[in-house]
This record gives sequence, C-alpha cells and structure tokens, in this order.
Amino acid sequence: MNPKGRPEGESAAKRAARRIVKLSRPSTWAGVATFVVLFAAWYVLTTLTQTIGSGRFPSPGETWEAFEQIALTGYADARLVAHVLHSVKLVLLGFAAATLVGVPLGLAMGASRSVEAFVNPAFLLIRPIPPLAWIPLAIVWLGLGDAAKVLIIWFAAFVPAVINSYSGVRTIEPYLIEAARMLGVPRRLFVREVLIPGALPMIFTGLRLSLQACWTTLVAGELIGAIAGLGHVLYQASLDIFPAMIVVGMAAVAITAAVMTIALGVVERRAMPWRSTR
Amino acid sequence: MSDIAFRDVTRVFQRDGTDFLTLDHISFDVRDREFVALVGPSGCGKTTCLRMAAGLEFPTSGTVSVGGKPVERPGPDRAVVFQQFALFPWKNVYENIDFGLRSKGMPEAARRERIARQVELMGLQGYESAYPHQLSGGMQQRVAIARSYVLDPDVLLMDEPFGALDAQTRVVMQEELIKLSRVNPRTVLFITHAVDEAVFLADRVAVMTRRPGRIREIVDVAKVREAEHWDRYERTEEVMDQESFVHLRTRIWRMLREQQPQEAALET
Ligand SMILES: Nc1ncnc2c1ncn2[C@@H]1O[C@H](COP(=O)(O)OP(=O)(O)OP(=O)(O)O)[C@@H](O)[C@H]1O
Ligand SMILES: [Mg+2]
Repeated sequence: MNPKGRPEGESAAKRAARRIVKLSRPSTWAGVATFVVLFAAWYVLTTLTQTIGSGRFPSPGETWEAFEQIALTGYADARLVAHVLHSVKLVLLGFAAATLVGVPLGLAMGASRSVEAFVNPAFLLIRPIPPLAWIPLAIVWLGLGDAAKVLIIWFAAFVPAVINSYSGVRTIEPYLIEAARMLGVPRRLFVREVLIPGALPMIFTGLRLSLQACWTTLVAGELIGAIAGLGHVLYQASLDIFPAMIVVGMAAVAITAAVMTIALGVVERRAMPWRSTR
Repeated sequence: MSDIAFRDVTRVFQRDGTDFLTLDHISFDVRDREFVALVGPSGCGKTTCLRMAAGLEFPTSGTVSVGGKPVERPGPDRAVVFQQFALFPWKNVYENIDFGLRSKGMPEAARRERIARQVELMGLQGYESAYPHQLSGGMQQRVAIARSYVLDPDVLLMDEPFGALDAQTRVVMQEELIKLSRVNPRTVLFITHAVDEAVFLADRVAVMTRRPGRIREIVDVAKVREAEHWDRYERTEEVMDQESFVHLRTRIWRMLREQQPQEAALET
C-alpha cells in the first residue's frame, strides 16, 4: 500500500479486465451470431437467389471489390485511409473545441446562479436550432472549406456538452456539497475535487452524445461540398450510381465512429476509477 | 469557549404552499465541552436543530449561536457526521479522511500521521484505498466519523453516527467516544434513536416532543453518573446493568412513549 492509499494499478486493472471479458462473453457470442445470420442473409439474397438486384444493393463480392478499389487505388480523389483521416481530423477538431468550451460553460452554469441567469436564455434560444441549419451561415462565413465544417461540428457537439455538464453539476447530491462546506474546502479545491468529479458521469454522457452528433454533422457537411472525407466518398458514389461504394463508405463511417466511441469509453473508465471497480 | 445556544428557535417549512411548524420555540444549551444527546420521535426536527448549529439551515425566528456568535455559515470549527455519511464516492477512504485537513492547508507529513491514527482507531486498516461503495454501511459510517474526528474540531455535531453499525461495533465506538471525550473533551451535540446510547454517552439528554418539535425535558445524566460512580466500570454492559442507569433509561422511554401513542404500534 502506498501512502496515498491508491490501488496498486496493475493488479486492479488486470482484475477489472478479467471481469469485463467474463461478463461480456455470452453477449459477445450473441453479437457474433447476429452478424453471421445477417451476412448469410445478405449473401443469399444478393448472390444466390439474386432477389435483390445489384442496382439497389451490392452483393458481398461487389462490396469487397469496391473496398479494394478505394483502399488500394483510391476513389473520389484519394485512398480510403486519406478520406478516413480527413474526416477524423475534422471530427476531432470540432469535438475538442466543443468539449473545451462546452464543458466549462456547462459547469459554470450549474455552479453559479448568475452565470445560469445570463447564459441560459440565450442558450435556450439557440439550442433547438438543428446543427445542419447552421450550414448555410457557416458557408457564407467561411466558404466551402474545412473551417465551415469544423464550425458546424463544433456547434452540434457543443449543445449536448453544455447541457449534460450543467445537469451533471445539478445532480450532485446536496449533502456532498454540504459536507464540503463543513470541511471548509476552498473554492478551487471544491471545483477540482467535488464539482468536476461529481459531474463527470453526466459529462461523459454528454461527450458520447456529442461524438455521435459530430459524425452525423460531418457526413452531412461533407455531402454538401468537400474535396475529401467519407461524406465526400458517399456523395461521389451517389453521383456515380455506385451502390457498392456507398456501402463501403457507410461501413467506414460506422467503424471509424465506433472506434472513436470505444476510445472515449476507455478514457471514461480511466477518468472514473471509482466506477470501474464496481 | 464553544458552547451551542438555541434561543427561542422556531422553524417553519413550506410544502405544497402550506406552512409546517417543525420546531416550536426551542431553547437549550450545549455548554462548552458538554455532551448533549438529542432524542425524540422520527420527524420531530432533530436533524433540523443540528443543521442549524452547523450553519446549513437557519431559524425562522430565534437564534442559534456557537461560542456566543450567531451561526452564519458552515465552517471547519464544527464537524458534522451526517445521517447519510456523505462520503465522496470518487475519493477512497484515505482521501475522504484527508480532505478536510488538506483544505486547512496542513503539511503532508502531519496529515499522514493523524490519518493513520484515525484509521487505526476506527479499525479501517487495509481499507485506505477502498472506495466508499466497496465498504459495508458500518465501515462507511466509521470513515465518516474518522473524517470528523481527524479535524479535531471544537464542536462535534453527530447525526445518528452509530445508526448503521452492528451491536458489537456500536459498543466499541461508544466506548471509544467516551475515552476520547475524557482525554479531549469537546462540545458534542449527538442525535440518536437509542435511549441506551444517549444515557451511556451524554452529560445531558434533551428529549423532544413529536411534531411540532419542542424540548420536553432535559435529563441530567452526569449528575447520576457521578453520584453512582459509573466510571468505575470498564464495560458498557456493566454500566447498563446499574439500577440507576435502568431507571434513567426507563424514565426517558416513558417520555418518548407518551409522545407517540399511534406511532408506537406502527414502528415496532
Ligand atoms: N428542507 C425541508 N423542506 C421541507 N420540510 C422539511 C425540510 N427539512 C425537514 N423538513 C421537515 O421537518 C421535519 C423534521 O425533519 P428532521 O429531518 O429534522 O427530523 P428528524 O427528527 O431528524 O427525524 P429522523 O429521526 O427521522 O431523522 C420533517 O417533518 C421534515 O419533513
Ligand atoms: Mg434526522
């Protein structure tokens, strides 16, 4: 035991990992089974019986060919890796900016009645505007380039980040705040060690919603005008009437977004060790 | 001097637009370094009294003062053990106990030593790195008590601090509290439902009436304790066997029973 009394990292982490694997084992198999069934149905309907024509939905073979094409030789001016990286970059920029601005703003609104009084009316007015409705304005301001897309992504992610951080503060048990006051905890320590950890579960709920919103908005933004990115691939494939490439583009969005969500989950567990030991 | 004085304290709560008189002209004192237990039927306003002394709640009329000054805000001169423990779920046992000391700006070495002493006193060795949710209710309560004791406050405000403990641990904690208050007497306001505990620990027991809460009687236990030399007994059960003890306990029980003719049937 170290003097700080923190758990010895390795063994605790190992234990947690073992439990996660154990817990998820039956559900992992269930998930795999669903995939197998869906894939089989896909293969049967498009390839064996050809109930679904390839003009509507591609067969597995066509999809693989489209994948090979974009991965190796490129499609819509770049290879798949470049498109993915381009989209990821925009999402990360917008998401990071939204987190950096939205979370502190939400915390401040939750912690201070006066900040809430000043900000909330404006926020309530802006909040119902769908992020995509900002696209025209973003284009007028920043043109068709990446900056406009980052702005829209920022906006889409900003709203859930603010709302959830705000209600995260509000859901802290009042007796914990009272306990801190009785202990004479000074303001800065209170923010760092009571307010933020207390709001953290909700903050992460907000960030997960933000991340989702980022991808929705990114694809929509890139559909309208872009020189690279997964949305651009989808747009180009629809112009070319190339269903297999559309499916590849959609799958790429799904997988990339899922990887980022999983990464966020890892950060979440790291940030809240007191929850993962449950 | 850190006495607690309730003077003509009345508290009205609003609920659904109606006024509820909760405390009705409460007046009593906890003298400097005196241990006063507050007993009374559930909902009579014991916690409300304690919260006023803490500075977390304020009278509708009347005054609550500590050390001669009206209580205006919470502060670390008065430590509270809350009925719901109020441990920080994201802090482990060590960090929970440490939080008040760090807030005071005490140097690390001194803190470590004092925490180690509390951890041992409360029988929490080996659990320093556990989070509250990994502990039993009784252990959580001991952490909450340690967090207050470690600050060595002038005034201790304890809201059913032993409520979640099993009978054995409870007795150990009571004996510890007695020892502590002999070595280092402080002003204690102690809420409990257990009449035994009140008589065993307190210098005086304030008995409250059911809603609206009033002080029905203040029983001077210390007088009997000294006259009957309870402190020659080492163990709780020996004291509790004394005729004088049983007599006091029964007297207080009667007062409480009179308060709640309907509830007695419901609550047993
Ligand atoms: N913030 C509040 N708003 C409205 N009513 C309140 C509030 N706090 C307490 N009350 C009411 O005041 C009364 C006394 O509450 P209090 O918690 O002081 O009782 P208690 O004697 O500590 O009871 P118990 O022994 O069950 O803990 C209760 O009827 C309760 O409903
Ligand atoms: Mg109470």
